Amino acid sequence: MNLRLLLAHTKVELLTLLRSPGFLIPTMLFPSMFFLMFAAPNLKSSLAANFSTGSFMAFAVFTVTFFQFGVGIANERDNPWSSYVRTLPASPLYRSLGKVLTASILALAAALFLVITAHFSTPLDLPLSRWPRIFLALAGGGLMMGLLGTLLAYLVSPKAALPLANLIYLPLAFMGGMWMPPQLLPQLVQKLSPYLPSRQWMEVVWPAVSGDPWKAQHWLALAGFTVAFALLTVWAQRRDESIRF
Amino acid sequence: MIAEVQNVYKKLGRVQALAGVSLEVNEGELLALLGPNGAGKTTLVSLLVGLRAPDAGRISLGGGDPRQPSSRRILGVTPQNTGFPPALRVHEVIDLARAHYPNPPGTEEILRRFDLADLAKRNVNALSGGQARRLAVALAFSGSPRLAVLDEPTTGLDVESRRALWEQIVRFKREGGTVLLTTHYLEEAEALADRVVVLARGRVLTEGSPDEIKRRVGLRRVRFAAATLPDLSGVKKVEREGDRYTLWTANADALVRELVLSGAEFSDLEVLPVSLEEAFLAVLDGEVSA
Repeated sequence: MNLRLLLAHTKVELLTLLRSPGFLIPTMLFPSMFFLMFAAPNLKSSLAANFSTGSFMAFAVFTVTFFQFGVGIANERDNPWSSYVRTLPASPLYRSLGKVLTASILALAAALFLVITAHFSTPLDLPLSRWPRIFLALAGGGLMMGLLGTLLAYLVSPKAALPLANLIYLPLAFMGGMWMPPQLLPQLVQKLSPYLPSRQWMEVVWPAVSGDPWKAQHWLALAGFTVAFALLTVWAQRRDESIRF
Repeated sequence: MIAEVQNVYKKLGRVQALAGVSLEVNEGELLALLGPNGAGKTTLVSLLVGLRAPDAGRISLGGGDPRQPSSRRILGVTPQNTGFPPALRVHEVIDLARAHYPNPPGTEEILRRFDLADLAKRNVNALSGGQARRLAVALAFSGSPRLAVLDEPTTGLDVESRRALWEQIVRFKREGGTVLLTTHYLEEAEALADRVVVLARGRVLTEGSPDEIKRRVGLRRVRFAAATLPDLSGVKKVEREGDRYTLWTANADALVRELVLSGAEFSDLEVLPVSLEEAFLAVLDGEVSA
């Protein structure tokens, strides 16, 4: 592992995103804006505020990771610059790790921004001792959604990636219970919800926020989705390479 | 020998882009790959720099497989002109390239050599065509490579910028570097190359010194009207339309002199160039011997 190379690639990825207002503003602001408009006014108790803040933090992480990998990689696929970078003497792993680091930094920033918003607009009360588990839960789901984004990027054409990403992202967030507690979802959605990766993710976020113990089945489901997305991504990437090279 | 291509085949989609190509790049030489568009130059380069794997045959770069990152440590490549990342600045792009090599020259020095110092903080997408080309070539030299692969480095440049880039390429060679460049300008090969390999339709058509290549494919057309065609030497190809003859030759001056001295009646004499494209294809089709 060459740290200098990892830093160089992370810097390039980070600068690229920080200078794209079209990415940065929506991914950073939308989750907090949604939270302020739809969730915060109804959050009268700390219990409700904690629960909702946890959900929206996951939504913020989801937004960053899914779009950075989904749309970002799709746009790069056709770009001759990617070809140039592949001629440099470094394993492609460095570039990928640079993206993961960048996504982690931005996801953390988006989640932090949401916590600050919640702190000033709701009776949020999360003791410090709960944060390590919240962090783990958010990281696990972020990884899964980053892989889902990557899969999408390799499956469809760069032009189709953005609209399709939106088409997947909004229902996944809504039906997974990121915007409102699952018992408030429409009947049909309540039935479908447990089969979605976003809902399984919420099932590990909520206990972390409330301080209840985790149930192994939800972590297993999360791991299952993650492995499935990873395998499909490898397959899609090979297929894409065999078409283009 | 710093790079070697042995009997390589590569199909792109349904097109047989390379059909049995072999060539060697010797340490310290400047080898020009010349050929019309679609000849397979870019495909061959993409194999040499490790972007693609050949369907059959073998490619070696510094004794290793160019698909292995460590083999590419001796290599510097130009990106394609249009392909810069969306939001980076000139010096940041050079820094990224430099980070991959053990002993790169300083960023300032690279900027200065390629006349980019004033543009260091410019967004790469705000560069003019000539500036972007300079940056592309600068990137190939950013890691002090032993072998620089320059894919059409001066396409679309004005004469002055072209000469400035040529100067940097010659300087790199003088300091012991090896260069493989692709071009479809015969003058560029003439000005820079020690050796030229001509590629057409995925095969090596011919190779030699720039002078030799020019003699073989640097053809002209001598056109005139005459009742009968006198016996003339140095004619590579004859086309006839009624009483109008078109003769292809490497030495138009000598041919015209001979035509006049033969005493034959002729009129409407014209001397016209033959594009490299036409010359290559004529050689390839066996209409003209190379």
